[in-house]
Amino acid sequence: MHHPIIKSTILAGLATAAVFASGAAQANRLDDVKAKGSIVCGTQNASSPYGFQDPKTREYVGYDVDMCKAIAKEMGLKLVHKPLSTEARIPEVKMGRVDMVAGSMAYLPTRAKEVDFSLQYLQGNIGVLVKKDSGIKTLADLAGKKVCASSGSSSAAIASKVLTKSDVLTFQTISQCYLGLQNDKVAAMTAGDLVLLRFKNDSEKTSTPTELLSEPTYTEHIGVVVNKGETDLKNAINVAIEKIDKSGELSQIYDKWMGKDSIYKLNRTFKVQPVDRAN
Amino acid sequence: MDFSFSLLTNPDTLHMLMWGVSVTLRLFAGALVCGLTIALLLSGLYLVPSKLLRWIIALYVEYHRNVPTVVQIMVWYFGMPEVLPKAIRLWINQGNTEFSFALIALSLNVSAYYYEDIRSGIKAIAATQIEAARSIGLGAMQSLRYVILPQAMRISIPPIINRSLIVFKDTSLAMVIGVTELTYQVKKIENTTFQTFQIFMISTLIYLVISLLIATLGAQVSRKFPANFKS
Repeated sequence: MHHPIIKSTILAGLATAAVFASGAAQANRLDDVKAKGSIVCGTQNASSPYGFQDPKTREYVGYDVDMCKAIAKEMGLKLVHKPLSTEARIPEVKMGRVDMVAGSMAYLPTRAKEVDFSLQYLQGNIGVLVKKDSGIKTLADLAGKKVCASSGSSSAAIASKVLTKSDVLTFQTISQCYLGLQNDKVAAMTAGDLVLLRFKNDSEKTSTPTELLSEPTYTEHIGVVVNKGETDLKNAINVAIEKIDKSGELSQIYDKWMGKDSIYKLNRTFKVQPVDRAN
Repeated sequence: MDFSFSLLTNPDTLHMLMWGVSVTLRLFAGALVCGLTIALLLSGLYLVPSKLLRWIIALYVEYHRNVPTVVQIMVWYFGMPEVLPKAIRLWINQGNTEFSFALIALSLNVSAYYYEDIRSGIKAIAATQIEAARSIGLGAMQSLRYVILPQAMRISIPPIINRSLIVFKDTSLAMVIGVTELTYQVKKIENTTFQTFQIFMISTLIYLVISLLIATLGAQVSRKFPANFKS
């Protein structure tokens, strides 16, 4: 048993078994988290204002992080927070490494085949940012032009569907898209409105100001994601979200990150409702 | 988790994968040919007795060997056009710039390694070989052509093949600037189907098969031109 090769073989075997078991297990995740007394909640790791590191304290903060805290508190569980990369959000849920993800995860029918969505706790538009002097005013004007999105984002998936006449390309981060827009590599970039607003504010200090097109490519319904078939856990999260909304805490979280206490100054217009309500 | 590969029954997915493989292979072939050409040119330039030139070559090699390949690709794509006048820049950014710059970056990167491989091949030839060649009346160029290079190139073949395999895998780095090669397509498919495991398994197999093919071809070339040949 102390032989390293034997040990690692056994570990590899166990790991493989665990992967298969996690797929096949009929165990109820809600009972599991209650038994543990803690819930693992994933968020984005570098996406302001949803989930990102506060440059001063090095702590992860944001709208989604506050949602994790509120939901865990409402369910009477200890929160174990896990920051994730954009691409890792769904795989981590499916592999069972996290119990739930509040990762600015927008409902898409294809996504709903892989994971289950709670009620929406946020709604946002996906927009397009162009240079002011580009002459691009509508989505139709983007035909034949390069449009940049961040790799693995829903903005990228939606852009491929909506902007069929454009050449949609992805870079690793949305900041690189902004760099590409600034030095004319691409004609436009697409992401959530909040992200684009930050870049728009930044560009006003440069010689090439940008503007948001009034037409969004899509309205996103953002919910908490759990593994496919974890209905009990999903229902418990739904109850928690409704309570958080009724107590006014959701509006507080919104104001803090997107509303009057933030740089965006937006007003909350969405209701807590199922994510698959038609746009 | 389901281990069905229903992904492959979707014509769109198949088409994307095929396209990805074709871009990957084009990048690889381009980097191989351009890289070897530049490496041979550099080897020739090194013979010019100029301290400055040798210093420049050394700098070139060290840059390409000590800076991460992915950074080199970014420098070319995001940095290079910026130093040009705006009109030229806009003209450059019109076409398929992503592929072109990835090809330039990968070619230059691998040329530095190929050059080192060729140089070490030349260095492995005993000095007595040159003396012998000169003593039977061959000129400097003739000695190089008939005595030194045929032996040196044979010694360089195995490391060159090894490096070529690494370049093949490095083509996947081009996805960071939006080149639609295999890994980029895989991530794109993953982003619309969310079948992470399946698609990465498929791409792993594709890479493995092509890598093994390259290695097999390389082994045949090595056998055809063994280093310890008797003519």
